[in-house]
Amino acid sequence: MFNRLFDWLLGLFGARRQIKLGVYGATNVGKTTLANRISLDWAGEKVGKTSVIPHETRFVQKKERVEIKLNRKKILINLLDMPGIATKVDYRAFRKHGLSRKSAKKRAREATDGVVEAIKWLDNVDTVLAVMDSTQNPLNQINITLLGNLEARKIPVIIVANKIDLKKAKPKAIREAFPQHPIIGVSALKGKNMDELYDAIGKYSRRAG
Amino acid sequence: MKKLKGLKIDFVSSSILDRKTKQKRINFILNKVKNGSILITDGVLNYAEEMDLIKETMRKVDNGFPGIEVCGLKKPTKGLNSMVERFTDQKEKIQNFFSALRGRKIEKTSLRNGLTLIGPAKVIREIKKNPNSFSVLTEV
Repeated sequence: MFNRLFDWLLGLFGARRQIKLGVYGATNVGKTTLANRISLDWAGEKVGKTSVIPHETRFVQKKERVEIKLNRKKILINLLDMPGIATKVDYRAFRKHGLSRKSAKKRAREATDGVVEAIKWLDNVDTVLAVMDSTQNPLNQINITLLGNLEARKIPVIIVANKIDLKKAKPKAIREAFPQHPIIGVSALKGKNMDELYDAIGKYSRRAG
Repeated sequence: MKKLKGLKIDFVSSSILDRKTKQKRINFILNKVKNGSILITDGVLNYAEEMDLIKETMRKVDNGFPGIEVCGLKKPTKGLNSMVERFTDQKEKIQNFFSALRGRKIEKTSLRNGLTLIGPAKVIREIKKNPNSFSVLTEV
């Protein structure tokens, strides 16, 4: 209650707000591409490496004190790019991408640790960007469980319907699946519609407690 | 006698899972799934428990067990039922809080109305979900 009042007063004077913004989602939905886009737009450098091989991000990647300037206010964010959440990690799937058995097993081990780490971080984020791939069916258990957890914890969430530049993209399907949440369609890769996302971050974010 | 190869499906009443604490329930599920069974129950875990199930699964992943596939269909709750569910949530939180105060680490939550399928990722190739149904493709 006090935090909200304080937040509102800060906002009145256009003061800086600082939030821990977690980028969550299943694997290969474009979380790091989105984090890189946000970081490039406002801090001039990338957060991490991207890859077509699942679980490229296996550790929480941070970019601290990224300042987003909106019309009437500035927001300071600590950007947290999370490992993809998954219910399975099979080293054999990495082998198909040309990794040696040893490297694939190492990647699988790190990936499972990364999932656990990402889940633990749910206790520490102020706002979440739940990234979904617009070309895929959004009704998968990862998305449902993630959103259910965020609702139960009362953590503000913005659904980012990513990859809208692709022909197969159906952001409308995401809107229909989760009508109770704000949804912004973007192409993190092409930088399409990012301004709308920044406005939404300003509108729905919760200040760090 | 020749041992038959096939798919084992365990239908477990939610009352069995309801009697268990959170940790015991997750262990029960994972033991069944790790042994190759698909488990179907007439209830759904709450979202926090589902996240704990994913976390625990990741800790158990090895070369022979790549993880699980899970799908739940929660019965939509409206009006009075929704209020009862929220009341149950709060009641369980308070009970667990007092258990923790007394030094007991027992977390009890009851399953919500619905249907859940949990199976080994090695066996389940794909789950296609719609708002009110899902279909499962398995390898036998």
